[in-house]
Amino acid sequence: MPKSLFVDPVATRAAGKIHFEDIPVNVYNKTIKEERKNFSDDDLVRIYRDIAVLREFESMLNQIKTQGLYNGIETTYPGPAHLSIGQEAAAVGQAYLLDQNDFSFGSHRSHSEILAKALSCIHKLSENELMTIMEGFLDGKALRAAEKLGPVSDVKELAIRFILYGTLSEIFARETGFHMGMGGSMHAFFLPFGIYPNNAIVGGSAAIATGAALFKKVNDKQGIVVCNSGDGSMARGPVWEAMNFAAMDQFHTLWENHNGGMPILYNIFNNSYGMGGQTRGETMGYDMLARIGSGVSPTQFHAERIDGFNPLAVIDAMDRKLKILRAGEGPVLLDTVTYRFSGHSTSDQNAYRSKEEMDAWHEFDPIVTYRKGLVEAGVTGDAKLDDILAETKERMTMICKAASDPVVSPYVDFKKDPAVVERIMFSNGVAEKLDDREPEVNMPLAEVPSYKKLKEKERAPIVDGKPVSKMKLFNLRDAISEVIYDRFYEDPTLIAYGEDVRDWGGAFAVYRGMMDALPHNRLFNAPIAEAAIVGSAVGYAVSGGRALVELMYADFIGCAGDEIFNQMSKWQAMSAGILKMPVVLRVSVGSKYGAQHSQDWTALCAHIPGLKVCFPATPWEAKGLMESALKGTDPVVFFESQRIYDVGEQFHEGGVPAERYEIKIGDVNKVRDGKDITIITVGATLYRAMDAAKTLSEKYGMEADVINLHSLVPLDYTKLIESVKKTGRVVLASDACVRGSFMNDVAKNLTDLCFDDLDAPPVVVGARNWITPPFEFDQYFFPQASWILDAIHEKIVPLPGYVAENGCTEAEALRRAKAGV
Amino acid sequence: MANAVIMPKAGITVESCIIGTWEKKVGDKVRVGDILFTYETDKASFECESTEEGTLLEIFFGDGEEVPCLVNVCAVGNDGEDCSALRPEGAAAAAPAAAEAAPAATTTPVAAPVAVSATADGATRISPRAKKLAERAGVDASAATPTGPNGRIIERDVRTLMESGFACAKAEAPAPVAAAAPTAAPVAEYEDVKFSGIRRAISKSMHTSLSTMAQLTHNSSFDATCILAYRKLLKNAGDEYAGITLGDIVLYAASRVLKNHPDLNAHMLDDNTIRIFKNVNLGVAVDTPRGLMVPTIFRADEMSLLEISKAVKSLAAECREGNISPDKLTGGTFTVSNLGNLGIESFTPVINPPQTGILGVCTITERIKKNADGSIGSYPAMGLSLTYDHRAIDGSPASRFLKELGQTLENFTALLAK
Repeated sequence: MPKSLFVDPVATRAAGKIHFEDIPVNVYNKTIKEERKNFSDDDLVRIYRDIAVLREFESMLNQIKTQGLYNGIETTYPGPAHLSIGQEAAAVGQAYLLDQNDFSFGSHRSHSEILAKALSCIHKLSENELMTIMEGFLDGKALRAAEKLGPVSDVKELAIRFILYGTLSEIFARETGFHMGMGGSMHAFFLPFGIYPNNAIVGGSAAIATGAALFKKVNDKQGIVVCNSGDGSMARGPVWEAMNFAAMDQFHTLWENHNGGMPILYNIFNNSYGMGGQTRGETMGYDMLARIGSGVSPTQFHAERIDGFNPLAVIDAMDRKLKILRAGEGPVLLDTVTYRFSGHSTSDQNAYRSKEEMDAWHEFDPIVTYRKGLVEAGVTGDAKLDDILAETKERMTMICKAASDPVVSPYVDFKKDPAVVERIMFSNGVAEKLDDREPEVNMPLAEVPSYKKLKEKERAPIVDGKPVSKMKLFNLRDAISEVIYDRFYEDPTLIAYGEDVRDWGGAFAVYRGMMDALPHNRLFNAPIAEAAIVGSAVGYAVSGGRALVELMYADFIGCAGDEIFNQMSKWQAMSAGILKMPVVLRVSVGSKYGAQHSQDWTALCAHIPGLKVCFPATPWEAKGLMESALKGTDPVVFFESQRIYDVGEQFHEGGVPAERYEIKIGDVNKVRDGKDITIITVGATLYRAMDAAKTLSEKYGMEADVINLHSLVPLDYTKLIESVKKTGRVVLASDACVRGSFMNDVAKNLTDLCFDDLDAPPVVVGARNWITPPFEFDQYFFPQASWILDAIHEKIVPLPGYVAENGCTEAEALRRAKAGV
Repeated sequence: MANAVIMPKAGITVESCIIGTWEKKVGDKVRVGDILFTYETDKASFECESTEEGTLLEIFFGDGEEVPCLVNVCAVGNDGEDCSALRPEGAAAAAPAAAEAAPAATTTPVAAPVAVSATADGATRISPRAKKLAERAGVDASAATPTGPNGRIIERDVRTLMESGFACAKAEAPAPVAAAAPTAAPVAEYEDVKFSGIRRAISKSMHTSLSTMAQLTHNSSFDATCILAYRKLLKNAGDEYAGITLGDIVLYAASRVLKNHPDLNAHMLDDNTIRIFKNVNLGVAVDTPRGLMVPTIFRADEMSLLEISKAVKSLAAECREGNISPDKLTGGTFTVSNLGNLGIESFTPVINPPQTGILGVCTITERIKKNADGSIGSYPAMGLSLTYDHRAIDGSPASRFLKELGQTLENFTALLAK
C-alpha cells in the first residue's frame, strides 16, 4: 500500500493478454565425451564416487532397517529411514557447484542431499580450512571420534569419515552425532558446510529457506540458498506462501539499495510420488511441476524440468541458475525429475506402483548408466570404478561398526544426566547485536519525528494530581514502540515485518511513523501469509539475524501452526543448541471482532515446548519484556491485547521509566498487596481483577494480592507460592476459554505446591467454552469483575450478603463438561 | 407470603443464643444480607443477616432474650401481611419457614457466615489450611462451625473457634503410633510415638503455663479425722451418698472457701487485668486413657455436696469415654487436682491458664501429735498443695486460703451446717 506505487485504473482495466515463455523440459543433451571439454576426468570420476558413497550409505540403512545386518555388523535402530535410493545423481549434481557460503535446506528425504553437499565442500576446501572447521565443531569432539576410526591417509579422507560418521551416529541417536542424536535422521545437518536442517514436515523447509535467503539479501551476505523439497510438498500452502514471499514485487520496486530478486532456488526432487500418492496424474494438476513457477511470477521462476538421473544435466542447469541468482534475478524453480527405488520408508510395500515401472526406471539407474558412460567415453576403466566401490564399502563398514558400537558411540545417558535435553531447550543468551556493522537507518534516532513524540509523552497517568489526557499519555503501545526503535538502532540485523506494518504502521499502530526511520529492507509489509511470515523469520534467525514479526491477530496462529509449533520452537533443541532462534513473534489478542478475531491462545503456545511466552498487561511490563525478548536468543511469542494498547502505567511507581531496563521473562508482577486472597491474572483481565479487588476491599473488608503473569513460559512460581501460602485462597483469571486455559496449569501446580496451605481449591475463571459472540455480548462471554467475585463467593469463601449472578454450581459445571460447552 | 428468619445455629454444641440488639425495627424494609440483629453465644457474638426480603413485620424476641437455635426470631413479608402462623408458639409454622430459608437455587446467596453444621452427605469437610491450623493450635476443628462452600470448614471457622476459647482438643481417634518398619529391619530400641491431639493440647497448655506465669507452691496439711468420720457416715448411709468421696468433700469445701479469696477464683486477662468471678466453676483434673482432661463443674458454689459428687462422676465418665462436649472443658475458674489415691504426699500442680490457682489434694499420712494429756498419739493428716500465680496474688493471702481451707475441712460438719 505504498503511496509511491500508483494503482492506475486505466492500466489496471486495460485489455490485453498474459504472455508466457516456453518452459524448457529436459533440454540437456550432451554426452560425457562432449563434457570432457568442461570437466577433468578426475571430476567426472569423483562425481561417480560421490554417487557411490550416497548409494552405499542408504543401502546400509536399508539393510539395517530390514535385516538388522550390514556387511557382517549386527545392528538396528528404531528411528525413521526415509531413503532416496535412486536420487543420488540429482543430489550430487546439485551440490557440485555449491560451496559453504551457499546454504541448502533439506526435504525429509535428505541423507543424500546432506552428504553430497558435504563431499562437494570437502573437495573445494583446503586441508587447513577443513581442519579448522572440524576442530571448531563441538570443540573437536566429533573430530576426535572420527580420528579413532583408524589410520587415515589425508585430511580429505578424514573429513569424509568425519561427515559420514557424524551423520550416521546422529541417525543412530548417539551422543557423538552432529547434534547429540537429538535431531536424528530427518533433522541432520552440518552448518560449517552451509548444510542447514532438513525437515520432517513435508515442505517445512520452504519458508525457512526463504528466510535464509532474506537474511542474505537484507544483510548483503555471500552465497545463495537452495531449498530442497519433494514433489509431494507442492500441494502445501506454506510452500506456495514461501514462493510468493520470495517473489514479492517490492524487492524490485521499493527496496532502494537492496533491489533485486531473492537468491533462492526452489529445487524439487520430483520422483513422482508424495509418499504413495502419485503427483502427476493423481494428486496434482500441474501436469509438469515446472509449470507452477509461471503462476507465481512473470519471471516464471526461470523454471525448467531437468533430468535428475544425469548428474551432468543437473550441473549444467545449476550453472545456469546460479548465474541468474547471483545476478539478483531469482527466485528460481527447478523440477528435477528422478525416481526413488527404495520405499517411502522401510514399511513401504509398493502397493501404489508396479514392478514393471520400477524395473523400467532401474534401466536408467545413474549408478549403472553414468558408470557405463564414463567407461565408454574412456574417462576411466571398470577396475578403477570397482576400486571406488570397494573402498566405499570398506569405509562404510568401518563407519557403521563405530557408529553402532555403544562404547565408541554411546547414547546420551539420561540417568546420569537427566537435564541433558533441558539444557538445550533454550539458549538463554543475551546479544546486543548479531553483527558489528552500523545499523542501516534513514536518519539519527533523535530526529525521528514519531520517536520524538514518544519521548515527549507523560509517562504516568497522573501528573501533579491531574489525569493526563489520552493523547499525551505514554501507553502500552508506546512502550513497545520505544524498545523496537532502540533495538533497531543497535542491532543491524534486526528486521521487522508482518501484514501492514510499514505505511499503515501496523494495524494497531505500534510501528506508526517508523517507516521514516528505516529502509524497506528492515521494515516491510509481508503478504497475508502467516506461515511464510513466521517460517521466514525462523530461517532468518537460524542464519544469524534477529527477526521481529507480527501476526495481526492471535487467531491467525493457526495459519502458521507448523511454523510456530514445529519450527520456531524446536530447532534450538533439535540442533543440540547449535542453532539460535532470536525471533520475537508479536501476536495481538483482539476484541470486538467476533469469533475468529478475539481469542487468547496463550495456552496453545505455552503447551509447546521450546517457546517463551509473554503477555504484558501494563506499559511497564511491555517495555521491560520487549527489551529482554529483543536482546535474547530464544523464540518468544509476545501476546498483546488490543483492549489495553491505550492504557498508561497505573501500577509501577513513577510510570514507565524513560531509561531502558529489562524484565526477566519468567518473573511475575505483583500490582496489589493484600492478605486475604490471591488473584492471579493473564492479559487484559488484570484490570477487571483490580475492579474485583476494589469491591472486595470496600464491601467485604478483604484485601487481595493481585499478581499479573506477564510471562507464562518460563514461569517462576516463587512469588505465587509466597502469596498463596499467605492468603490460602487463589482465583486465577484470564480471557482464554476456560477449558484448557493456561491458568489450569498454574492452578494445578499451586495445588501441588501449596496444598496444606489452601483454604479452598484454586478457582480458574475464564471465558466460556463458546465462540466469542459479538462485542455487544462481551459480558456474557469474557470474565468480568463480578465473575471473580462469584467464584470467590461460591467456591472459596462466602461473602456476607453477596448475590452471585453468574455462578456455576458443581452440577452446572458437570453439565457443561458433559455437553462440551 | 411472609417468611421467618430463624435464630442461626452458631455451632454444634450451641443450643440457644441471646439476642444482643436489634438493628432493625418493625416496619423497616429489609433486604437479603441486611443485618437484623446481633446475637451471642457464651463464646462470641455474631450478626444475623436477613435471609428474606420485604418489610420486617414482627419481632418475636426482644433484646437480651434467649432464643433456641433454629426457632423463628422475626417475620419478613409484605406490608400488612398476617404472620401469626410464624410465631414460635405455632410450632408447625417454624419448620417450613426454616426449610425455605435454606439455599435452593444455584445462585441463592448464603447468609454468611452461618451455615449448616454438616454437609449433605453428613461428612465433615475441612480445607487443608483449616486442618493444619487446627492441628497446630491444638483445637478440635470438628467443633468449628463451617461457613465455607458446601459446608466446608475453612480457616476463618477455626479462628473463630480459637477465639471462642476452645483451648483443648476433643478426644480424637486413637493416637497414631509410629508405624512399624515395613521391612525386617533390626528391632529398634525405642519407639517414636506421635502426640495425639489431646497430648499436644496438654503439652502446649502446660508449657505456656509454666513459661508465662510466676507460679509457686505452698504445702500444708490438716487433720482429716472429721472428714474421715463424715465419709464413714455417708458410706453407711448407702444409696448415692455412699459414692461421695473425700475428694468430693475437698471440692465442696474449696467451692465455699474460694468465695472468701476472690483473687484465686479468677482469670488473668493480661499483664494488668484480672477477671474475678462471682461463681465458682471448679475444674476437676481427670485422668483418662487419652491423657489429662479438666472438665468443669459450673457454679459448684451453689451445689450441694451430693450434687458435686454426682457431677464429678458424670463428667469423669464422659471424659473417659471421650464423648464430653467441648463446652464442658472450658470455663473453669479454679482447678482441683487429686493425686491422693496414688499416695502422693505433696506435689506441684501446674496452673491451667488463665486461672490463677490450682489445688493439689494429697494422700493421708499418720502424724504424731501430743495429746492434751501430754501423751503421744497420732492423727490422719491430709496434704494440700496450692500453686498460685504470684502475679495475681501474694504469698500471705494464698497461705491464708490454704489455712482457711484446712480449718474448714477439720470442722467440715460445721461447714455443712451453714
